[in-house]
Amino acid sequence: MPDTQQTQPQAQIVMSNTETIPGKVIAESLGVVTGSTVRAKHIGKDILAGLKNIVGGELKGYTELLQEARAQALQRMVADAAKRGANGVVNVRFATSSVAGGAAELFAYGTAVVLQ
Amino acid sequence: MIKLDDRTAAIVWVVASVTLSFAPFFLSWILGNWYQGSKQKELVQREAAFGADPLTTLRKVPGVATDSGLLISNIIMSVSWWQGMIGSIHAIFGGTITTWDKTLSWGRQEVMQRLRENCRDSGYDSVINMRLETSEIASSKGKTRALEIVAYGTGIKY
Repeated sequence: MPDTQQTQPQAQIVMSNTETIPGKVIAESLGVVTGSTVRAKHIGKDILAGLKNIVGGELKGYTELLQEARAQALQRMVADAAKRGANGVVNVRFATSSVAGGAAELFAYGTAVVLQ
Repeated sequence: MIKLDDRTAAIVWVVASVTLSFAPFFLSWILGNWYQGSKQKELVQREAAFGADPLTTLRKVPGVATDSGLLISNIIMSVSWWQGMIGSIHAIFGGTITTWDKTLSWGRQEVMQRLRENCRDSGYDSVINMRLETSEIASSKGKTRALEIVAYGTGIKY
């Protein structure tokens, strides 16, 4: 899928989880943009994580998995913003929910804006 | 082969089966203490070496920003087999589940340190409007064994 890669043309969209982009002035709001992805764990990773639980602590395999998934959700949100002709997304929020069968949904949303 | 009488044989059998069935938990206790101790020591050193804390939950800080961007750090934390067993014993009586308690505060400390390092590596001076979120990662068996902690904020450069 093309949206899994960090494509360069979308890189000029500035994101922020504050109401404004620090140091910039918002000219226009283009509405809410969203991006989501549902990911399930690899069975092999599940077994490895079970073994890692002997010592506890961080489960690195899952950390990377969720990091990638969140990046993809953000990427989709940014693609949505780009389609509307925005050059910034403010007030970005994340939500995670677990879906049956060991899968997780990662969801990112924010307000697409045009910066002066 | 040594000939044992019935009573001795029964005792040996009981002791051996108890030891064998708890062996993974004892192993988990010893290895887990060693592993988590070394990781936590490393984290304390990283924190001490970092210097001034760039993180803030304020939405605005004095000064004019020239550049900004979204910064995200995450970690998935889980307890060891031993800690899980102790936790379920604690859960019978209620009150503080010390093992999860420690694991989660360690996870938050670690993820905040990652955000600081992320901020430094991305060339920002500080992180404003930092938020922390925790969510469950369901296992396919239905038992919760892991929690994800996310820290995110807006990195700004003066």
